Amino acid sequence: MDRRSFIKLTAVSGTTAALASCGDPDHQLIRFVPDEDIIPGQAVWKPSVCPLCPSGCGLTVRVMDADADVVRNGKAGLLHILAAKKLEGNPNHPVNRGGLCARGQAGIQVTYHPDRITQPLKRKGNRGDGAYEAITWEAAIAEVVSKLNEARAAAPEAVAFVGRGGESHRNTLIAAFLSRLGAPAPVTYELFGDDVLRAANGISFGNEQLPTFDFANSRYVLNFGADVLGTWDAPVAHARAYGEMRQGRVGVRGRFVQAEPRMSQTGASADEWVPVRPGTEGALALGLAHLILKNGTNANGTRPDPRAVSSIEGWSAGLPDYAPDAVEKITGVSASRIERLAREFTGESAVPGMRALAGVAVIGGAALAHTNGLFNALAVNALNALVGSVGSPGGLSFTPQFDVAAAATLPGVARQGRTLQQLASFLLSEQGADTRALMLDGVNPVFTAPRAWKVRDALNKVPFIVSFGSFLDETSILADLILPDHSFLETWSEAVPESGSAIAVVSAAPPVMKPLHETRATPDVLLEVGRALEKPLELPWQTFEEMLTATLTPLPAMTDGSDTWTDVQEKGGWWGTLPAAVRLKPDTTNTVRLKADTTSTPEFDGDAGQYPFHFLPYPSNQFLDGSLAHLPWLQEMPDPLTSAMWSSWVEINPATAAKLGIEQGDVVDVASPHGTVQTAAYLSPGIAPDVLAMPAGQGHTTFTRYASGRGANPVDLLAPLTVSTTGAPAWAATRVKIARVGKADGRLILFAGGMREHEEHGR
Amino acid sequence: MPNWGMAVDLDRCTGCGACVTACHAENNISTVGAEQASRGRAKHWIRVERYWEGDFPDVSLKFRPVLCQQCDNAPCEPVCPTYASHHTQDGLNAQVYNRCIGTRYCANACPYNVRFFDFFNPSWDKPLHLQLNPDVSLREVGVMEKCTFCVQRIKAATIEAKATEQELKDGDLQTACAQACPSRALVFGDLNDPESDVSRLSRSPRGSKLLEDLGTKPKVTYLSKQA
Amino acid sequence: MTHPAHQQINRDLLRPLMQTSWRFYALVALPAALVVAGLVSWFTQMFFGFGISGIRWPIFWGFYVTNFVFWIGISHAGTLISAILRLVNAGWRRPVTRCAEVITVFALMIGAMFPIIHLGRPWLAFWLFPYPSERLIWPNFRSPLVWDFFAINTYLTGSLLFLYLPIIPDFAVARDHATGLRRRIYAALALGWRGTPRQWHRLETAMQIMAIAIIPVAVSVHTIVSFDFSMAPVPMWQTTIFGPYFVAGAIFSGIAALLLAMAALRKILHLEAYLHPVHFENLGKLLLVMALLWGYFVFNERLVTYYGNGPAEMAVFWRTQRESFAPLYWTMVICNFVLPLSLMGIKRFRTITGCVIASIGVVIGMWLERFLIIVPALGHKYLPYSYGIYRPQPVEIIITAATFGAMILLYALFSKLVPIISMWELKAGDHPPADLIPPATEEHPLGELRL
Ligand SMILES: Nc1nc2c(c(=O)[nH]1)N[C@H]1C(S)=C(S)[C@@H](COP(=O)(O)OP(=O)(O)OC[C@H]3O[C@@H](n4cnc5c(=O)[nH]c(N)nc54)[C@H](O)[C@@H]3O)O[C@H]1N2
Ligand SMILES: Nc1nc2c(c(=O)[nH]1)N[C@H]1C(S)=C(S)[C@@H](COP(=O)(O)OP(=O)(O)OC[C@H]3O[C@@H](n4cnc5c(=O)[nH]c(N)nc54)[C@H](O)[C@@H]3O)O[C@H]1N2
Ligand code: SF4
Ligand code: SF4
Ligand code: SF4
Ligand code: SF4
Ligand code: SF4
Repeated sequence: MDRRSFIKLTAVSGTTAALASCGDPDHQLIRFVPDEDIIPGQAVWKPSVCPLCPSGCGLTVRVMDADADVVRNGKAGLLHILAAKKLEGNPNHPVNRGGLCARGQAGIQVTYHPDRITQPLKRKGNRGDGAYEAITWEAAIAEVVSKLNEARAAAPEAVAFVGRGGESHRNTLIAAFLSRLGAPAPVTYELFGDDVLRAANGISFGNEQLPTFDFANSRYVLNFGADVLGTWDAPVAHARAYGEMRQGRVGVRGRFVQAEPRMSQTGASADEWVPVRPGTEGALALGLAHLILKNGTNANGTRPDPRAVSSIEGWSAGLPDYAPDAVEKITGVSASRIERLAREFTGESAVPGMRALAGVAVIGGAALAHTNGLFNALAVNALNALVGSVGSPGGLSFTPQFDVAAAATLPGVARQGRTLQQLASFLLSEQGADTRALMLDGVNPVFTAPRAWKVRDALNKVPFIVSFGSFLDETSILADLILPDHSFLETWSEAVPESGSAIAVVSAAPPVMKPLHETRATPDVLLEVGRALEKPLELPWQTFEEMLTATLTPLPAMTDGSDTWTDVQEKGGWWGTLPAAVRLKPDTTNTVRLKADTTSTPEFDGDAGQYPFHFLPYPSNQFLDGSLAHLPWLQEMPDPLTSAMWSSWVEINPATAAKLGIEQGDVVDVASPHGTVQTAAYLSPGIAPDVLAMPAGQGHTTFTRYASGRGANPVDLLAPLTVSTTGAPAWAATRVKIARVGKADGRLILFAGGMREHEEHGR
Repeated sequence: MPNWGMAVDLDRCTGCGACVTACHAENNISTVGAEQASRGRAKHWIRVERYWEGDFPDVSLKFRPVLCQQCDNAPCEPVCPTYASHHTQDGLNAQVYNRCIGTRYCANACPYNVRFFDFFNPSWDKPLHLQLNPDVSLREVGVMEKCTFCVQRIKAATIEAKATEQELKDGDLQTACAQACPSRALVFGDLNDPESDVSRLSRSPRGSKLLEDLGTKPKVTYLSKQA
Repeated sequence: MTHPAHQQINRDLLRPLMQTSWRFYALVALPAALVVAGLVSWFTQMFFGFGISGIRWPIFWGFYVTNFVFWIGISHAGTLISAILRLVNAGWRRPVTRCAEVITVFALMIGAMFPIIHLGRPWLAFWLFPYPSERLIWPNFRSPLVWDFFAINTYLTGSLLFLYLPIIPDFAVARDHATGLRRRIYAALALGWRGTPRQWHRLETAMQIMAIAIIPVAVSVHTIVSFDFSMAPVPMWQTTIFGPYFVAGAIFSGIAALLLAMAALRKILHLEAYLHPVHFENLGKLLLVMALLWGYFVFNERLVTYYGNGPAEMAVFWRTQRESFAPLYWTMVICNFVLPLSLMGIKRFRTITGCVIASIGVVIGMWLERFLIIVPALGHKYLPYSYGIYRPQPVEIIITAATFGAMILLYALFSKLVPIISMWELKAGDHPPADLIPPATEEHPLGELRL
């Protein structure tokens, strides 16, 4: 008899045995018959895509048989399934080339999380107190349909959608869904998003896209505050290239300089760390440009891209305002040091062999999150243009991007609409009242948006909120209906990486395992809702898989002799040269308007006398903006710089701390005009005396057993300032004060004992 | 008979900690939670040591991943009364959990402090237990655990190679930490194969051993950061 | 020195055996309670997991191993001292030897508990023993922990014999004075002692052999205990001085313990007539010598480390000398050196009270010494990233206290069942009249005592 029938047999006998043994029919142990071929103890490897950050790394998942406790239509039982066991980097994926960051490693805990929402839930009791009752999918979808019908009848503006950013099939489907519904385009929000840099690149290079850096071939990297090796953009791709830059080339080792007021994990790897005053990164860049223009030492003699330089006032005149002495006053970096950096950057001072190699300047993180962030970005772009590092080896380039909308033949679908701030203020205004329904797709703006935007109050104005998230968090707890999505391992996972690869990439892979719980893939739910509406939306596909097939099959096969679709499913995506038809056209419509009003000097919220410190929140290496604080592996992983586990803290310069009588681990109040947080002090030699830095991620009130009630959230302090001319939050522009509240109470948990390798005892 | 070793290029390491989580995922290391972590019970078979040097503004930071050095002259071995800590043919410092009675002597003797004790029985909030690697046995309360150079992967690969009658090629076999490392700072392989990457790197002039002067004969080579 | 008449001796020294007052129960109540608390704590630790102790990464040994070394040290009081005194035939030893030897036996029993208590899986402790398992798996004979097993067991067996042999004649006396069940028990214990010349002869020879044999064993025991540390490459542990250093410390703390025991017995059992100030004074002098010796070793250890200036060693050195552990360190120095020197060094203070104060100091100081050898070194081993701080938890503190309770309890019970002073040696001691000892003949050098 074959294995299938054998398993069936054991299943049956197992059931009868169970029936005989225990009474309560709801809790009897049923051996469900697995509907997949399972070879016990035999590991299989399947491709997938990491969804935890926008860089879209490729995964290879180790899958083996396991017994899972499951509930199937009300019956608890045991199911022998193929379960994901370990996530590895996909060695063939152009972005991560086999590597995987700590967060990606922990991604598997999303699927197996004990506090995952396992089936549709309907609110009972008051909004926000988290009481829900289980309902069937049929009932849940029926309710969504009726609410959308009402809303649509009321007004076209009546439906709002808040989701994740980034180019992907999922987001395109959502955009299409909304436009057919007549609703405004989805609102996307990311606290640490990079819209400022996209805008700047639009102005400088006619390309509103994040750059891809060819560090592997760089001679010199000058980084203005971007945590490229830790959390910024495509860290795994950057780290891989960084390794090559350092030791991948015979006899050549790239030099790496980091300019930032608080030493990041990336700054720690730099050869030289330049503490520059917050918000003056652009001035420093132009200081270098001034000298390079003066000495006429443009590396490869190419004429800089006119768009890039014309956006900088006084460029043609040689940037007279940015002579070293002036820049020293602005940035706090000594004139002589600026001159040396300029020489190093252009390769003047390099050995002949290396001169030809490009140096590249990078900007990101807090440098973009000041009110003058756009100016800083434009300045760095101009500097890159000046030394000819744009498009040249060792410099920066732009990954050709797959245009999902075009491939899906959905012309004229707006991918991005209002900003979150606009949505919030709209909902709080009179017209906002006729917004009848709001959908949430795996975002937590209540936790990550500046309090002054009143996102919570705004959402509370909406009569009907539906969430597709897998966990109860500060935002989804406001939902009236929760339609839990599959985890990324249980469904089609896909992303279109914006950067990190020289060639075009579409990460896409089929489910690696059967759903553990009674969840459904959100794209399929949307399609079903679309069909069930009074006036159906007539989206061209029945399922999400159909959409992917439709968009990807026409692409040229990667390995000749095989058809693209099978290829994609085996390799976990498609990469290669894009046909022009489906290549995303650079969108530069609004660049001219942007250029007009670009402030060059940063403004800060809070009076410098009363609030003497600059406040720099930063994405935590473990939790990013907090969306990963629910994963125990990441909670217990020591933070790279502090070695802290399960904690949050504020970093302060030891000299400053001594003045204020603050010692390691002491409890302190950090206050801005907008709020106060209580946390532990960490004395860090790597931060300027007038700066306090705090990792985001902790301070959740509602986010699973592992994150709730742990630590503090720096967002509570943020001023509602935005980066001039872009709506992006200027999260680095707040001033704060700090006061000691009490002595260390153990809330700061450090793995490390000593701070320094060599102790001075003095004998 | 191979002789397994590792090279750690400090000029590539970015301190990202991917290796730490990778090891937890591969080797069923239980998370102990905030309360126990604060009492020094966290178990990180590989840790990324960081050391501050100098003071603001001329300050720098040094990262150094530290795992079991698989010493050829391992102080943790002779002191173990039950042979739970012992040396294998292929040069590993093996740890037999079933043999360990928890004297913790080995951990005192280990100069690198890479041995971790199970102070309680491990537990996983269901269904987190589904993440467990069936190839790695769980450790009960009262035993010592540590980096094994992912021995389960070594065994699997060598058995596979034997079954298919093929030579185990350099790079076929990777430890979980080395496989995850985004910057390729960790390189694992056979030191008896002079052509293997790890052998090549171990011969590098930048190479040195951690606490070499203690005479532990570590099989992990650290390649210094270049200035 | 003079002792009461023989009938008086019998009456005085057998009194505790024959009659029990309420005071006795009052005395044993507290230590008994401590012992119970200790046992409960230990089982709690086994039930909930070792984690309820303060042990942590990287300080894997703490209070338990400290207690182990401490009690094994205390055990060097009796057997070693009385053996030496017997060999040099110091007459004043006679009333002292037994209460000394008893300390050895009980201290060893208590100390030997800790290698088991501190195990992560105590229920598997038998894997330390060399027994022929069906898997033919033997313990690792290279491990000092296995050496401990042999050393301690040898010393315990030897000490038990050394204690038992000279009690036999006294058991005989007890037998003759007791009635009913007691009589039968003492009869059994007396092994049919009749006091014939042959028996006396055998006893004396056996005592001689034991006295000589036990000394190297005692010395080796604490040397091997010191190996538990000096064999591991831990800063400030791996030093050749540890062997003699530990032995000296052991004898030092042993004498202190003995002095305390004697003072207690003298008070409680009203043995003023037997334990004279001179006994205390003599032992006090011994304590003084050991204090000097101890100081000499500490000075050696410290100076050599300081001069060598190895980075790893200096980290530990300064922690104890002037940083976190300094308060404990200097308390130790005062207790072990300053106090005994100033009290025992000056004749005027070499009184019973003086001895008691000095001894209390030394007992505390020697416990601290063991703690300060173990914990600071483990907490500051080579790589500063892995430094750690140890905080003992209730379970460890209770179990530690319980061991002192156990000592008192066992001692009290013993002195209730056995004459705590060797009666026959006492009698033989003060040149007894001719009618008591006939002239020695060829085959009986000592002659036959008519007791
Ligand atoms: N439920 C269940 N029962 C089974 C099986 C099963 O799959 N499931 N399998 C069956 C089979 S195939 C087998 S072989 C048996 C195996 O069952 P057992 O023979 O019990 O084998 P273990 O449980 O692996 O080991 C027994 C004990 O030996 C201890 N031990 C390890 N080293 C030593 C040592 O040096 N000396 C001593 N004295 N003890 C030591 C271990 O810690 C463990 O507690 O179980 C059988 N029973
Ligand atoms: N960590 C650890 N590993 C061990 C041991 C240990 O103590 N600890 N013990 C070792 C020992 S002694 C042994 S014997 C092995 C046992 O290890 P295995 O031989 O793997 O024994 P099981 O895991 O009990 O069974 C293997 C599979 O057989 C399936 N099975 C059950 N009945 C049948 C049947 O009738 N036909 C078929 N085709 N399959 C069936 C079971 O569902 C299970 O998936 O494990 C060894 N490995
Ligand atoms: S970089 Fe982002 S996508 Fe890549 S593994 Fe890490 S979290 Fe996942
Ligand atoms: S993963 Fe690699 S780069 Fe990251 S910390 Fe570990 S060794 Fe260093
Ligand atoms: S590093 Fe420590 S645990 Fe590993 S072999 Fe060496 S001594 Fe043993
Ligand atoms: S703890 Fe275990 S492995 Fe270590 S020495 Fe003791 S028995 Fe051996
Ligand atoms: S080699 Fe394996 S066990 Fe050792 S640290 Fe790396 S992953 Fe962990």
